[in-house]
Amino acid sequence: MMIGSVLAAVFRRDWTMMKRYIVNSVSSLVSVYMIFILIFAGLQSVSGYVKTGALDGSLEGTIIGFFVWTFTIYAFSNLAWNLISEAQTGTLEQLYLAPCGFKWVGACTIISDFVFSFVPIMLLLIAMMATTGRWLRVDLVSLIPLLVITLLGAYGVGFALGGLALVFKRIQALFQIMQFVFVGLLVIPTRVPGVKYLPLALGNDLIYRTMVQGVRLWRLPIGDILTAVAVGAAYLAAGILVFAWCERVAKNRGLLGHY
Amino acid sequence: MSTSDGALQVQSMTKVFRDRGGAMVRAVDGVSFEVKRGEVLGLLGPNGAGKTTSIKCILGLMRPDSGQITLLGQDVQAAYPRILQKMSAVLEGSRNLYWRMSVWENVSFFAALHGVRSSEDQKYFGHLLKLFGLEEKRHTEVRKLSQGMKQKASVVCALARRTPLVFLDEPTLGLDVETSLELRSVLKQLAREEERTFVVSSHDMDVIQDVCGRVVIMSSGRVVVDDKVSHLMSLFRTRAYRIGLRGPASQALEERLAQAFAGVQVAYGDGDADSEVRVSLSEDGDIYRLMDILRSADAVIDEITHEEVDLEKVYLEIVREERARS
Repeated sequence: MMIGSVLAAVFRRDWTMMKRYIVNSVSSLVSVYMIFILIFAGLQSVSGYVKTGALDGSLEGTIIGFFVWTFTIYAFSNLAWNLISEAQTGTLEQLYLAPCGFKWVGACTIISDFVFSFVPIMLLLIAMMATTGRWLRVDLVSLIPLLVITLLGAYGVGFALGGLALVFKRIQALFQIMQFVFVGLLVIPTRVPGVKYLPLALGNDLIYRTMVQGVRLWRLPIGDILTAVAVGAAYLAAGILVFAWCERVAKNRGLLGHY
Repeated sequence: MSTSDGALQVQSMTKVFRDRGGAMVRAVDGVSFEVKRGEVLGLLGPNGAGKTTSIKCILGLMRPDSGQITLLGQDVQAAYPRILQKMSAVLEGSRNLYWRMSVWENVSFFAALHGVRSSEDQKYFGHLLKLFGLEEKRHTEVRKLSQGMKQKASVVCALARRTPLVFLDEPTLGLDVETSLELRSVLKQLAREEERTFVVSSHDMDVIQDVCGRVVIMSSGRVVVDDKVSHLMSLFRTRAYRIGLRGPASQALEERLAQAFAGVQVAYGDGDADSEVRVSLSEDGDIYRLMDILRSADAVIDEITHEEVDLEKVYLEIVREERARS
């Protein structure tokens, strides 16, 4: 009951904020699209590259990689940035006064962020497909669960960075580094030994199979799905543990409301 | 005080920080106090006395190193975070709000975190906004409000959660006199009508004197006074004297008085005009010592009266004595 009330409240807050910061919301999406245009222009200049069909270098792979990367950046940075911004503005301590515990407020914020970033990023996907002329299969029944599985690892990183931000405050440089790390995780082929145990990699591969090869969720190898879930859950759990440890340190040192 | 009428009991609470050099700083040092249900308690103390740290430890925003906190019969640490259902706080005034959201959106959001969102609750939000003079601004974004209105909106957000205990840390900080008076009047009304328990931490003595029935004064992390405001005032009223002297007081007299009584003030008139000694006596025999000094200086006493005291004078006296002791 209480969680339902919190979830509804967080949805209302985020919807209101999105409307109030509409220029920022739209411009951030436009800037991501501009980056894609630059990458696409670069790819076109290497015409042979566009004609190859393999995942490692294909245009479809680039679109999907960019699509998943955008979701990932939104997921981890929203979580970590929100914590920093709430500490900065002074509302973080008020969220910590929620009787359900801050972890549930955080969980509701993640769900809300996913929902509110879904439509704009899907619009971005459509824009990317229209720009390149490569239309991919968007099977939402398969795509949404795979996105959630893939993003678990990103949320884990978000929790860890958010926790570090509670203690060390200024960690923006780490955010920049993580954006490049995520690019790396999305472009390394999963056939490289051990890569599928890194966050995002296997999930991205499964999304590729769904969107390019048209394989539906229940036709994908169950072993791969379970591995992707286990890897995502492990990184999420690790991120939550780092967050809990940092939160404890912040409470011990009285840093929760500081920035 | 029995547990049944106790809202909050804090026993031997200690919080130690390490400074940059690694030295231990006892921000809260064995603090104990109780608050009755429906009581308005003032928490006073100079900067760094440990007021905000104590409040944050009770709220669970900081982890105390030792001590026990009981809220309405429940151990706070054992029942955390569910126990937050019973307390709310204004900690940094207007910084506790989302400035891009309207007053109503803020109130609804923070109340919903406490599960307070029924239509009856919403009527109550409206009642609070009316009480605080924010009714016409309910759909205005917080960033567009004056400082006083922002401050009042953050108090409304805390009250809207309908918790039996409310902490108000510096609720009148940055407010003009009129808004401060308004806020005080509303707090008194709420304490009276809703029988809620308030803990008000403030540097503004007028607020504490006006709103609070009892006061806990902290200094260097410790509780140095825990008493009713009225009792403190009458106690200090009997200790504070104003002695009118005929003619100017000599330099020697002033020096002897300063040696004998901490905080003594000697006021001179122009030329041969009369002078005045203001002194607070802490022991029964002090009045005789004072008379001896005046007699030996050949000072002619015109009148002796009890000085009118306010909480600010009482507070300064207590803090001064405490500093002299430590």
